[in-house]
Amino acid sequence: MTTEQVTFETQALSYMDQLYAAAMRMTRNPADAEDLVQETYAKAFAAQDKFTMGTNLKAWLYRIQTNAFINTYRKKQREPKRSDADNVEDWQLAAASEHTSSGLASAESVALDSLGDEVIKNALAELSEEFRMAVYLSDVEGFAYKEIAEIMDTPVGTVMSRLHRGRKLLREKLRDYSVERGVFEAPKEEIQPGEACNGKS
Amino acid sequence: MASHECDEALDRLFEYIDGELTPAELEQVSTHLKDCPPCESEHKLNEKIKTRVAATGGECAPDALRDRILETLRTAREG
Repeated sequence: MTTEQVTFETQALSYMDQLYAAAMRMTRNPADAEDLVQETYAKAFAAQDKFTMGTNLKAWLYRIQTNAFINTYRKKQREPKRSDADNVEDWQLAAASEHTSSGLASAESVALDSLGDEVIKNALAELSEEFRMAVYLSDVEGFAYKEIAEIMDTPVGTVMSRLHRGRKLLREKLRDYSVERGVFEAPKEEIQPGEACNGKS
Repeated sequence: MASHECDEALDRLFEYIDGELTPAELEQVSTHLKDCPPCESEHKLNEKIKTRVAATGGECAPDALRDRILETLRTAREG
């Protein structure tokens, strides 16, 4: 055993909880999540000579796990690959339509405070895999767009699309949960983009 | 009235929240948010959702899994 091997193993093992939490988001059940993490480590240890010490080990492990998930578990789970997820370069158009009155966004914000963590977790779990993982990797793991692009093996533009679309859907789901619980009243009319904005033109 | 500045700020809101903008772009969005309450409300709400999502992580790997992985590692060392 070289010092480098020991360092690699120690560092790799320190990410086990995080990889397991991510695997839970991918597979959505504990048994598959455990198998996926074990497979990730088996592959990582077998390929450790391909890893350059000093580079981003955490992202490297997530990349292995994402590949393992795609190759093994996604097929097994038969979750249909969302064809719309890869064709989402229209996020700029979508984003521009998001402007609402400050009162409405504030009301949504207040409603959000009354939703428990489980509700947030369930709303995220309901997103399709690619949106769910992009949001998870950014919000929970704090990966930069460039790192998410490496992990998901997509261009940075696609990561941004997935984040925009995923967060938009997540917000809609949280709004629906708030309405169901009677803590938020849906607006009668859609407010047009920029209508209530005081910004200088 | 809708403004071009609003559109630009809203387009970059997620990059702003995610810390992906250059200092110059960040300054531009930040300046607009100070002047525009509706955009600032959007910003605050999206930031809050991000914070709430961030708090949903944190499952720990079960001990049995840890044991299985250490066993995998021993096998890999021998092989």
